[in-house]
Amino acid sequence: MKEKPAVVYIVDDDAGVRSSIRLLLRSVGIAATPLASAQEFLAQYDPAQPGCLVLDIRMPAMSGMELQQQLNLRGAIIPVIFITGHGDVPMAVEAMQHGAFDFLQKPFRDQDLIDRIQKALARDRDNRAALQKHDGIRASLASLTPREREVLELLTQGMQNKVMAAKLDLSQRTVEIHRAHVMEKMGANSVAQLVRMVLDTKEA
Amino acid sequence: MDAAVDAVILLDHTGHIQAINRAGEELFGWPAGELAGSNINVLMPEPDRSAHDAYLARYLRTRESHIIGMGRELKAQRRDGSVFPAHVSVGLVAGAEPPQFVGFIRDMTAHHEHIADVKEEARRSVDQLMHVSRMATMGEMAAGIAHELNQPLTAIANYARASERFLGRPEPELDDVREAVREIANEALRAGAIIRRLRQLVRGGDEAREITAVDSLIEELRLLTLADARMHDTAIRFDLHGDTPGVSVHATQITQALLNLIRNAVESAAAGNPPGAREVLVRSRRSVAGDCEIGVCDNGAGVSPEIRDRMFEPFLTTKKRGTGLGLPMSRTIAEAHGGSLRHEPCQPRGACFILTLPRAEAVA
Repeated sequence: MKEKPAVVYIVDDDAGVRSSIRLLLRSVGIAATPLASAQEFLAQYDPAQPGCLVLDIRMPAMSGMELQQQLNLRGAIIPVIFITGHGDVPMAVEAMQHGAFDFLQKPFRDQDLIDRIQKALARDRDNRAALQKHDGIRASLASLTPREREVLELLTQGMQNKVMAAKLDLSQRTVEIHRAHVMEKMGANSVAQLVRMVLDTKEA
Repeated sequence: MDAAVDAVILLDHTGHIQAINRAGEELFGWPAGELAGSNINVLMPEPDRSAHDAYLARYLRTRESHIIGMGRELKAQRRDGSVFPAHVSVGLVAGAEPPQFVGFIRDMTAHHEHIADVKEEARRSVDQLMHVSRMATMGEMAAGIAHELNQPLTAIANYARASERFLGRPEPELDDVREAVREIANEALRAGAIIRRLRQLVRGGDEAREITAVDSLIEELRLLTLADARMHDTAIRFDLHGDTPGVSVHATQITQALLNLIRNAVESAAAGNPPGAREVLVRSRRSVAGDCEIGVCDNGAGVSPEIRDRMFEPFLTTKKRGTGLGLPMSRTIAEAHGGSLRHEPCQPRGACFILTLPRAEAVA
């Protein structure tokens, strides 16, 4: 599956600020989409689109904090960098507690913003890769038959084929066939890798 | 008679001075003894000087008095021709026939100067109070204004850094640089406009009355009030009709009254609603009577009944850091312009303050 290119969304009701951030990012080769309001962002929000969100904390109608809440309710993973004014520190702290990636106070140094955006994009890539891996494992798990699931469960407990055959009241040959199917469907090369996959999905 | 501080004059029925005390001679600048026998009219400027004999004749004929028994302030004239304000009271000498009159005259010059001083002092105090109140308002708005200035500064810094990077490339993207430079200029002008509006608010405020369109004063306030509203997560809507009649106003004073009303509205909306639901409406229109009417409405909790009757009294405030001068000062300003400021509850909730100013033709 091919990754979509990442997009930096700049949501700020101030036209000057958002256009200047777009041009700044363009100068370092980062594509950005400027948007004038939280509603505009939500209207075109696509959870599958990789990227990050540069968000003004104070906006009329729907503030940056409210947009963050909305995104949290939807289980969004997009990293959010808040842009705050002087004296908005208590709000910024609250935003961080609600899972913001970082915040910057206006006016900020260009390099600080660029660094944070690059870190946020890297974080988003990692998160998406991990999620995709989990999604893949989940899909593989779902493709197992009930019997194969039983075999997988016992395998990951480190049970020998012979013991398993007795426990499941199957021939050792049948257990071996189920085991081969499990390894194939899960795309695992070893029992150790299988164990890792199962643990990953349980953590996620 | 000579012990009296005021001038005391005894007149016969033809208006000739029979006796005058020393204080009287000194008050009018005459040498001792020279006034006795003169017509009283030498102590008056025109037109009274020529008309006085006729006044007296009319009195003798009709016995209807225009001055006897009641004190009046009149103009008096010294020997050197200079005129001064004088309080004159005249009485009839009891039992004399033909009648004789006694007059008491007090120099009111010092009193008038004193009143002028007091008035001037009061005017200066009001000016100072307005200035102080304006500064207090500006102080309350400082956070919003700082934020508003930060916006163009942030944009300028971003555009400049972007240009630096574009120019640093082996083949510079000149179109991008051009865009950045153009925007830098625009943003600098925007910062300048904010500072200009600030200056307009903090200037002395002693400019003359001029015929002004209220909408343009509201437009001048738009930027600063939006900045303030943003700090309170409040949305301000401006509904300006453009057909309001011109008004003859001291621009700074009306601006101050409007600013007071809008700030109150923003604070009430913010105190009475969660973020996102805070609304203020500023509207202007031509009233049924053809005058200019500005409404500032909010969707806050409204004015509580306990203070509804007293909200225009000075030093009454419901705010944590209010001066209690905003509303009374706004009403004083409205009334000094021949207008009014009144409160109406809003539907379904909130308060509306309506400032009415008479149209300029009606004033002239």
